Amino acid sequence: MNLLANKEKRSFIIQLILAAILFSAAYLIVQNIRDNLADVGIRLSFGFLSGEAGFDVNESLISYSASDSYARVLLVGFLNTLELSFVCILGSTIIGVVMGIVRAGSNWLGTRLALAYVEVLRNLPKLLILLAVFIVMINRLPTVRHAWNFFNGIFISNRAFYYPKLIWHDGMVFVLAGILVWFIAAVLWGRYVKRIQDLTGKQLPTKWPVLGVLFLTVLLISVLFHVSYQFSLPVFKGFDFTGGSRLSVQFVALAFTLSIYHGGQITELVRGGIQSVQKGQIEAAASLGLKPSQVTRFVVLPQALRMIIPPMGNQYLNLIKNTSIALAIGYSDLVSVMSTSINQTFRPIELMSITMMTYLAISLLVTALLNWFNYRTKIVTN
Amino acid sequence: MKRIATLAFGMFALTTAFGTQATAGPVLDEIKASGSIICLTNTNSPGFSAPDSKGVFQGFNTEFGRMAAAAIFGDATKADIRGIGFSDSMKTIVARKAHMASRSITSTGTRDADPGLVFPVTTFYDGQGFMVANKLGVKSATELTGAVVCAEEGSTTLLNIADWFGNRKMDYKVENIGDKTARLQAFYAGKCDVLASDYTALLSDRQLAPNPADYTILPEIISNEPLTLACQPDQELEAILFWSFQVMLTAEQYGVTSKNIDAIVKDIDKQPKAVRRLFGEKGATSDMAEKLQIPTNWAYSIIKQVGNYGEVYERHLGDSTVFKLVRKGTPNDLSSRGGLMYAYPIR
Repeated sequence: MNLLANKEKRSFIIQLILAAILFSAAYLIVQNIRDNLADVGIRLSFGFLSGEAGFDVNESLISYSASDSYARVLLVGFLNTLELSFVCILGSTIIGVVMGIVRAGSNWLGTRLALAYVEVLRNLPKLLILLAVFIVMINRLPTVRHAWNFFNGIFISNRAFYYPKLIWHDGMVFVLAGILVWFIAAVLWGRYVKRIQDLTGKQLPTKWPVLGVLFLTVLLISVLFHVSYQFSLPVFKGFDFTGGSRLSVQFVALAFTLSIYHGGQITELVRGGIQSVQKGQIEAAASLGLKPSQVTRFVVLPQALRMIIPPMGNQYLNLIKNTSIALAIGYSDLVSVMSTSINQTFRPIELMSITMMTYLAISLLVTALLNWFNYRTKIVTN
Repeated sequence: MKRIATLAFGMFALTTAFGTQATAGPVLDEIKASGSIICLTNTNSPGFSAPDSKGVFQGFNTEFGRMAAAAIFGDATKADIRGIGFSDSMKTIVARKAHMASRSITSTGTRDADPGLVFPVTTFYDGQGFMVANKLGVKSATELTGAVVCAEEGSTTLLNIADWFGNRKMDYKVENIGDKTARLQAFYAGKCDVLASDYTALLSDRQLAPNPADYTILPEIISNEPLTLACQPDQELEAILFWSFQVMLTAEQYGVTSKNIDAIVKDIDKQPKAVRRLFGEKGATSDMAEKLQIPTNWAYSIIKQVGNYGEVYERHLGDSTVFKLVRKGTPNDLSSRGGLMYAYPIR
């Protein structure tokens, strides 16, 4: 009884019991699934993963052919999902922040346009938007034989966007190293500038010296190590372009759709965050003589960020999971290769568990990153 | 949509796996108790299965769902025919949410080895082919080095093209698009050079083109695709599906059709012995009916309400249709005329 009287111990015991119940429930479910599957003669096994997949995918970040294993094709799908998620997170954040600032601003036309954008985008199902974007793109863009040519190296067709690819030269290692050194120096310079400003109030220049140094670094190293910059250009041959790099139309359609779709939701988050900053703060900043852009940057955004980041995490997680609509238009993401693999191996439970675990792992990682960022912004602004 | 359905059926698979007591289920009893047989079919494949103006699925494939209903209930309308995407069709049967599928599913070793699914009888012998736009000027699939090929996500098509191009060391690029509208649009808009699918599916897809005459199906058939009925494992149900199909073949062989069957039954004593065994009161079929516990006149119901195999083929794919799919000399002709449709003896 003594144990229960102490508040801390009591809550510890309750949590312990709860955890025990959850664990046994999970154990029972797994056990039950296994037993019942065994009864109908299905045995779970992951051995098929090393078997030959036998099918090709549309695009891959790593080398892959049909004779590679199922494990490899799943990795290909996983990387494609990551690539798409990364681009969409970047795109939707930029769109969302810009539109959010416009939406919360005082420009009459701007706020109305932003409102219209948000309302249209968040009231339509994303799969519908995706199919519409995709079908419009493949019907309105020219076929690969009549691709639009820009600057004699960029080709746009309804199959893919083709662009020149930089050919690797061994000297580029030094250029990259130089850029790394420049980056570190720039960060240190930024800190120094801030220190000086805090101490003396004097603002040292940042933008032009830093960019100038970058330019000089690259130029100097390139001349020193005889680095040649050559591009492989896309050339039409037979049925398709060879050489250069390509961005498939399905990737562009997906990146566009998911960026504007989630951009619309992020717009509302940003607007809410900005409007949560008290009006008095903005007026105070203005009366101190800060320019409107400075008010936004130094007063409004740092405070709004604290409100925005937690729901933003939700958006990112949703976005990552939403990339799985890729399968509808033929982008080989994780769910797409999983689905093909299931039809060939007939191992839905194993493959679905792998896929779920993968999504869970990505989501947990993103959550951890955002929590870290959230923690950082809290300390800074307090 | 498909993604959602995939996940939903995955959940079905999981929940049924731990929700029901796993007895080797008498599926037939379940069908009889529910009063209809759930048969999965293609959502939009003109000729094989597509909804008519009333939303009812019509086509070659749907007839075998009706065949099963005619045999089990003596009433072909008791087939509950539902359209479903390819990827989800087999999962749905394994998850026991449908009794059978007549959906152009290729019977393969790995699929048949799954304990949740059986392939009782092949209703159509198909093969995979390529369709191209005439303006490409391609006459043979061997000219397709470097081409971009559109194919259905998740199907055996993907593996066949990987094999075929791989064996010939020919380069190609695949676009595995799941959504059918998106896939056909991609092909007709020229995003892909080639559409790969089963030969007959290409025929019906061509009908959906803005101008069907602009497209040619290349002569190469690169795979064997025995399109087979699939059902939940149940000895009686498998036997009913298999032998119902034999009734349709035998009836065709002896010229018994839905039009003349009443006259033939009236005059049953004057018929050849094989016909008497099928439709006579003391025929082998009534003995089978007793063992399988289905209506005695099941064979009559099938022919009267659905028709013989040749009739069904002609009705949906033959010369009277837009497809004009030649049957003579193909594997789908009766064995007596050089095909693979070989009627097993009913005695």
